[in-house]
Amino acid sequence: MKLKAKRRMGLVFFPAFDWAISPTHPEREERLLYTQDQVMEEGLLDVDGIVEYKVRPATYEDIRRVHFCVPDESSVTTESHLISAGGCLVAADAVLKKEVESAFALVRPPGHHSMRVVHGNRGFCNINIEAIMVEYIRRVYGIKRLAIVDTDCHHGDGTQDIYWHDPDVLFISLHQDGRTLYPGSGFVEEAGGPNAYGSTVNIPLPPRTGEEGFLYVMEELVLPLLERFEPELIINSAGQDNHYKDPITNMNFSARGYAKLSSILKPHIAVLEGGYSVEDALPYVNLGIIMAMAGLDFQYVAEPNYKEEYKPQSLDVTNYIKELVKGLRYRFLEGGLKKRTYKDGEIITRARNIYYDTDGIHERQLERIRFCQSCKGAISIDSSSSLGQHVLCVHIPKDACNRCRETAMDWFHEGKRRSYTHLYLQDRDQDLYLSV
Amino acid sequence: MILGLDVGGTRTDAVVISEKGVVSLSKTPTTEDLLGTIENVLREALVGIDPTQMERAVFSTTLATNAVVQDRLEPTGVFVMAGPGIDPLAFEVGPSYHLIEGILDHQGFEVRPVNRREVEEKIRVLKAQGIDLLAVVGKFSPRNPEHEQTVYEISKGSFGYITLGHRFSGVLNFPRRIATAYLNSALYPVQKRFVESLERILTSKNIHCAKFLLKPDGGTYKLERSVDLGVAAAQSGPAASVMGAICLDGCKGTSLVMDIGGTTTDMAVVVDGTPLLTPIGAQIGPYKTLIRSLLSRSVGIGGDSSIVVEGGLMRIGPTRHGPPMAFGGQYPTPTDAMVALGLLNEGNASKAHIAMKRLGEALGIADIREVSLRVLKTMAGLIKTYALQFIEEINSRPVYTIHEVLYEKRLEPDSLVIIGGPAAQLAVYLSEVFGLPYRVPKLADVANAVGAAVSKVTAEVSVYADTQKGALVIPELEYQERIPYTFREEEALEKGREALLRLAAYLGAEEGQEIQITERQIFNMVRGFYRTGQNMRIKLGLKPGILSSMEVLR
Repeated sequence: MKLKAKRRMGLVFFPAFDWAISPTHPEREERLLYTQDQVMEEGLLDVDGIVEYKVRPATYEDIRRVHFCVPDESSVTTESHLISAGGCLVAADAVLKKEVESAFALVRPPGHHSMRVVHGNRGFCNINIEAIMVEYIRRVYGIKRLAIVDTDCHHGDGTQDIYWHDPDVLFISLHQDGRTLYPGSGFVEEAGGPNAYGSTVNIPLPPRTGEEGFLYVMEELVLPLLERFEPELIINSAGQDNHYKDPITNMNFSARGYAKLSSILKPHIAVLEGGYSVEDALPYVNLGIIMAMAGLDFQYVAEPNYKEEYKPQSLDVTNYIKELVKGLRYRFLEGGLKKRTYKDGEIITRARNIYYDTDGIHERQLERIRFCQSCKGAISIDSSSSLGQHVLCVHIPKDACNRCRETAMDWFHEGKRRSYTHLYLQDRDQDLYLSV
Repeated sequence: MILGLDVGGTRTDAVVISEKGVVSLSKTPTTEDLLGTIENVLREALVGIDPTQMERAVFSTTLATNAVVQDRLEPTGVFVMAGPGIDPLAFEVGPSYHLIEGILDHQGFEVRPVNRREVEEKIRVLKAQGIDLLAVVGKFSPRNPEHEQTVYEISKGSFGYITLGHRFSGVLNFPRRIATAYLNSALYPVQKRFVESLERILTSKNIHCAKFLLKPDGGTYKLERSVDLGVAAAQSGPAASVMGAICLDGCKGTSLVMDIGGTTTDMAVVVDGTPLLTPIGAQIGPYKTLIRSLLSRSVGIGGDSSIVVEGGLMRIGPTRHGPPMAFGGQYPTPTDAMVALGLLNEGNASKAHIAMKRLGEALGIADIREVSLRVLKTMAGLIKTYALQFIEEINSRPVYTIHEVLYEKRLEPDSLVIIGGPAAQLAVYLSEVFGLPYRVPKLADVANAVGAAVSKVTAEVSVYADTQKGALVIPELEYQERIPYTFREEEALEKGREALLRLAAYLGAEEGQEIQITERQIFNMVRGFYRTGQNMRIKLGLKPGILSSMEVLR
């Protein structure tokens, strides 16, 4: 065989052929079956420079760097979630040990709708597999600045929530406009918390956005943002539900489009998120992404009926996207974003309601963050759920200043005097987690 | 009585086995003349044997591998139906490779039909080039062989031999299917001549029993069937030695089988008498194929490997520069160390001493015994390093279900089974570095010929049933059937069992061989929250094993 990858890439394939949310749920055993068929039939694993890795389960310790699981990890995760997250850790190890230039964790179940506090399953996700990977990479490999580019059709609200207050993670989400699709968030105004304003960028695209629109956004907005942020590592939440065949979304992207997007973005690590056209889209999209990451020529990658089925993007969509990008460029690249100023040490609060669609749980959150000019700021979240839980979650960030550490400890001790069902302390500086 | 004959890279062995055990054995150097070599070794092995009493004769040869490596393949045309994916020109093989119309998707649904006129046109191109052999391969053809069959119908009058890709395996791997089908057609004339000549030789020696060839999976099939399926007998050498070890030792527990030869050491893992198989198939020269194969690793270190000293460190192999010095060679070898230590009473002992003395000077060791021991320990250490790497690779093989992640046991060999020429001399050193007990079975030096002799027929079929599409396919038998929506898993298994028995009988299997289900995956197909069908993938086969009458050899 003459084929050789121009860029050595690792593939972590874990289709979880024995796990489903429920027998007819889109997130079920069959989801990656036809992708496996296509990848095997193409002989990709025989290509020199494409290396397949075996998964390992992540540990509760890995989860505790990111989440507050209520009441505990074992109640909101199953083995499948641990293995899916572990698959991402394997991909990270392969890249950071320099065995490969990039890696693709083609795993399920997905994770980008999981927020910092977890009461159950939202949007098919229990734990945020990208965030667990990012915190593992930071802890084990000492990497600080990362960018996560979420190309799933749904807004990556979980990842946004976890990195909302972290100025060292640039989170960019391209998705179908939240006015037309779950989870109904991800508007341009959502740009990060007081200590990290501007490190969250939302790009809500109109329904029927096609190849042209996605690639335009990449070239005109995403790449310049990355260039300016200078991350040490780029991660792609590679959801595949922007495909024109996806049954639960309304976009107009294609397999070759996804391959082009990957070849432009050049992520160090890609992680599969959503994508539920299991027969008609996933086999070709995954093939395209793998080939693009390996630097192989993907000009012959296409859906079998691409020519008959694919309709180029309409002019009104193109114009809408141009205006959108213009506005976003102004805000995030040309200094148009106006930061609100606070007093150093000021405690800023926000109240939110979060709905867990899969499990039907209502959660109410009261969040406090200490505005801080020396670190990322102490955080506490008072969270109550319709399941009767009422918990306090306190987070000490990496490289926390003394004042923030003291504030966090005060919150935690004060919480002990109140009637919470559980109290958690996540000390990311010491890599400690306490559950009371 | 049964006859086993193994043609190796340097030596050819034959054994005759009766219910009393091995009654005759012979060894001869392998020459370029394969049939001549076979005649030589047979002449000696049959001395004092009544050939008419022979019930079975099995051959393991290097025919196909040599034809590939020495570029003696006949010009063969290839028609490929690819559809979207990797550029199919990347898989080009042979002198006349053509892409033709015809596309199937992964479920085997037709996306574009075959274009009859285009096929006819390409046939004319091939005929103008004087090509008489053809391979026809479609992407996803194991899911639906119809396109390949259509091209066959159009082409059959124009070619001496045509191979269709779907016949080899239900395994999905288009590039390997192309290579396998191509090799099978390209080997056809060579294989046909070989079978005819071998039949003639055996007839002239009055051997009229059933004749078989060994395959790389440790199974056998009838010699006459190999004319159509020559590629299936390639690369059988490692299988011969592993099956020999299983026959002579039993290989209970988890055994690391090592066959130490002149230039290489072959290793394989056997679990309770069953050898591990490769996930997809054998590699023949540069070609990765779909031919089922034992999992083995060949490393460039053997008794005749040259030893050099570089920067005060001893390096053994991977090359062999002629025979050991004790046998007239130029370079010191591990065999010389064995001779010098008196472990081997062959060759010229004083030459072996000179070899060790020379190494000792480079290493700064005066004592010849010490130098020789150092050689054998270094060799054992090297083999261990390779073996651990091999085992680690097996343990890192991906798995695709939660169950396997949670419950899969790591493979850890608990004993060594050592065969091959210098087995007895090296075993104790290997055992020491591995920290594992060892066994050197009797007849260890002709284990490969024994392995060929005693191996049962193997066969494998794959059943792919899709109740949404309403189709069942068993590609190895060109079997296709319409099935109803209500078709059940048990029915698919029964279809598979019937097909396997048919194939097994065709290949020459005994009746009552154990059937093993190697894969059984059933998926509900759901579209828009409703179940629309079931997708069943079942593989069953006759697993490699030893004729029950041959357990006497242990």
